[in-house]
Amino acid sequence: MEATREIYWNIGHGVVIPMYILAFAAFAVLAWGFWQRLPVWRQGKALDRFSSYDERVMRMTRDVFSQEKIFRVTAGGVFHSLFFWGFLILFVGTMLVMIQADLFTPLLHINLLSGEFYKGFSLVLDLAGLISLAMLTGLIIRRFVIRPKGLEIVRDDYIVLQLLFAILLTGFFLEGARMAATELRQNPGLAYFSPVGLLAAQVFDGMSQDVVLLSHKTLWWIHFGLVLGFFCAIPYTKLRHILTTSANAFLAPLEPKGTIATIDMEDERIEQFGVAAISDLTWKDIFDADACTSCKRCQDSCPAHVTDKPLSPMKVIKQIGELAEDNPSGNLIETVSQDAIWSCTTCRACQDICPANIEHVNKILEMRRNLTLMEGAFPGDEVRTAVSNIEVNGNPFGMAYAARSEWSEGLGATILESGEEVDILYFVGCYASFDKRNQQIAKSFLTICSSAGIKVGILGKEEKCCGEPVRKLGNEYLYQIVAQENIELIKAYNIKKIVTTCPHCFNTLARDYKDLGLEIPVEHYSTYVCSLIADERLKLEPEPFDFTYHDSCYLGRYMDIIEQPRSILKAAGGLITEMDKSRYDSFCCSAGGGRILAEEKVGSKISEARVKMATDTGAPLLISNCPFCLTMFEDGIKTGGAEGVLVVRDLAEIVAERIAVSADR
Amino acid sequence: MKLLVCIKQVPDLESRFKPDSEGVWYSESDLAWRMNEYDEFAVEQAVQLREKLGETVELTVLSIGPDRVVEAIKKALAMGCDNAVHIQDPVAAAKDPWQIASVIAVYAKDKGYDLIFTGMQSQDRGSAQVGVMVAEQLGYSSCTTLVGFEYDSGVVTAKRELEGGIKGVVKMKTPALVTCQLGLNVPRYPTLPNIMKSKKKEIITLAVSDLLTAEPLAATISFYSPTKKGGGLVLEGEVASLVDQVIGILKEKTSVLR
Repeated sequence: MEATREIYWNIGHGVVIPMYILAFAAFAVLAWGFWQRLPVWRQGKALDRFSSYDERVMRMTRDVFSQEKIFRVTAGGVFHSLFFWGFLILFVGTMLVMIQADLFTPLLHINLLSGEFYKGFSLVLDLAGLISLAMLTGLIIRRFVIRPKGLEIVRDDYIVLQLLFAILLTGFFLEGARMAATELRQNPGLAYFSPVGLLAAQVFDGMSQDVVLLSHKTLWWIHFGLVLGFFCAIPYTKLRHILTTSANAFLAPLEPKGTIATIDMEDERIEQFGVAAISDLTWKDIFDADACTSCKRCQDSCPAHVTDKPLSPMKVIKQIGELAEDNPSGNLIETVSQDAIWSCTTCRACQDICPANIEHVNKILEMRRNLTLMEGAFPGDEVRTAVSNIEVNGNPFGMAYAARSEWSEGLGATILESGEEVDILYFVGCYASFDKRNQQIAKSFLTICSSAGIKVGILGKEEKCCGEPVRKLGNEYLYQIVAQENIELIKAYNIKKIVTTCPHCFNTLARDYKDLGLEIPVEHYSTYVCSLIADERLKLEPEPFDFTYHDSCYLGRYMDIIEQPRSILKAAGGLITEMDKSRYDSFCCSAGGGRILAEEKVGSKISEARVKMATDTGAPLLISNCPFCLTMFEDGIKTGGAEGVLVVRDLAEIVAERIAVSADR
Repeated sequence: MKLLVCIKQVPDLESRFKPDSEGVWYSESDLAWRMNEYDEFAVEQAVQLREKLGETVELTVLSIGPDRVVEAIKKALAMGCDNAVHIQDPVAAAKDPWQIASVIAVYAKDKGYDLIFTGMQSQDRGSAQVGVMVAEQLGYSSCTTLVGFEYDSGVVTAKRELEGGIKGVVKMKTPALVTCQLGLNVPRYPTLPNIMKSKKKEIITLAVSDLLTAEPLAATISFYSPTKKGGGLVLEGEVASLVDQVIGILKEKTSVLR
């Protein structure tokens, strides 16, 4: 007997028309639900997120079907991904049944669902259902029994989880009833290709044929009703994420990570800077709130949040959503709170971990722009002083600008004012120029370059703060002033390549200055040194040492420079023990987002938390390659009681100490 | 009502100061310039009063010096002054406080200012004389080192800082002049819309030669950095030996143990 089954068995073909009418009605409810959201989203300003359509579709397809971003976090993620694939297979399988029954059979008179294909089809769908059911159980246990910290239980969770569970369960019993009445009697061999259905069929074993048929019919309608309920519930419950989160994979920005809109300071029509209300946001900022699934991964990875500061990236997104819906004219900055806004280190951990492609950081930056440019606000008086120091002396310390290059005296760097040609411009940055500890980085970098035969130029006293900290504090005006001055200065010299030792300078010069007209290639010294080694211009004499490595946010997450520093340290003889939070999961040192200029007054110290993670590896040496990180860790080691246990050093110092003294030089 | 605030642009004190070629003042090379800190308090207080009293008040900022002082004037305008007077003087630093005060007084004499604000002193010369001498020459009441300021219908209530942490309260009828001290207020950071607006505000430039009538009363003889005295001594080592070393030094070099 051929392996197949009669579609609409026991239900009758008379159901087709009412079934489609009901299905279309459900889709209409779904569409209506989203249609009603349109005015909420449209409160935001225009923003193009539809160009480069192909690239966006590709990304959405990859993000949604690979579930890559979701299972990056095992807890919850694995359950979700497997459930998704299982449920997807069930959905496709059901579509196939529909196409067979209402298209192929009446029009083409062929039966796809027969023979070996049908056997495989049955088995795959049964297993997919089983996996979905198991994963759903896992999700239910996680949310209601394990209850991880920060995972809220809301009305939607009850509705969605019960609904999905009921759909799967009724599906299996429906199958069981059908099998009890048909397959088990007529073709028992085929039943083994539906193992879960076979198990469910046992329930109907021994019941009279009438009862089984009635049960089947009843279950079919319940199952169908639940599925319709599922579609109807999408826009009104968390299930909306099926569409909104997927859409966000399409709508996510295509610009390089960390791109911030450069305000046109010449445009005199602009009277409102930054974001203070819902109408100052873009529509995408509001849409993000609908794409949020409350998975709280952003909150878990936020250094400010885990050290008890009043910032939760998830809460910020939710507050935007709530305000947009309930009180669109309300004050967004008051709702979010200044303390939360100033707590952000712009480390991008939230955005990187977000499976929904939500853009947290720029929203916070836009609110800071409003506070700074419209209110003249600062997170503290020490920041006010530092910013005024940058205005006057071009560095946050308030040191005499003319003393900027004193660290380099006698070390062979060329000050470009002299007019000499150089191989690279080393943009030193404020910390390596003025901070005693960080001057070691600058000096080490010069040592490395001179051993590789590179002629290094510096701007000397003409160099100014790159503007990164003030820009991240929202002061776009001061940023553009110092940036323009630096750019004009650099352009006046014949520079082919710029190298920085500070990831903040690097991000700013390489990406942000492009908007202001700097087109010269910019590199961070970690990749530059890496290529010097690869080209055999720099030879290292390896010497074994144990260490752990800190990925600075602006090198790792922002610029994807993850492996190069590790490979240099390996070449230097280092044996790495990674911290739990490393690479893209790295935990900020606390100095990003202009926080380097601010005192950390609320909660515990982020730098101490990170130092603790480093000491937990057992390694005696923490290596970073950012002056801000070095500063924060020197501090965190002292205040966190890790003196004598852990030493922090910069990558440049390690390399400079291991330069091979070759015979030919 | 008319308000005047007088400001000076001074070098940032962290700058590396060197005597100029004549050796009577500092050389201007490699200096970073900013508005005198005490004058920022004066501007802030004047702007606060202007905001409180509304549109009927006109607040003018005045500065004497070469072209670079326009930067300080612009900041005062961005903070909220209505218009500005730049008294062009490439050699303002060579004038003594009496001459500077008289230039301001000659300018202000027939303008009918009800209240004049200045800083307590400048951060570079630090004579603390210009404000009071302007008041003297104009015949205004004046009050120095303000840490509190209130104004109500023609009467200024000023809280002054006295010796030993004591404060005094002075009431003066306008016209009056006050000099402002640290602690009076927190100068605002100009907002971007105000910076934009300030670009359209009027800056009147006057030549100092038209206003200078006074002869100097004091002359600067020489400008030099203090002779370097011995630096600090850092002792290192075990506590017991450190104690001995300290006692040794105290015996040898001081009279405390004799």
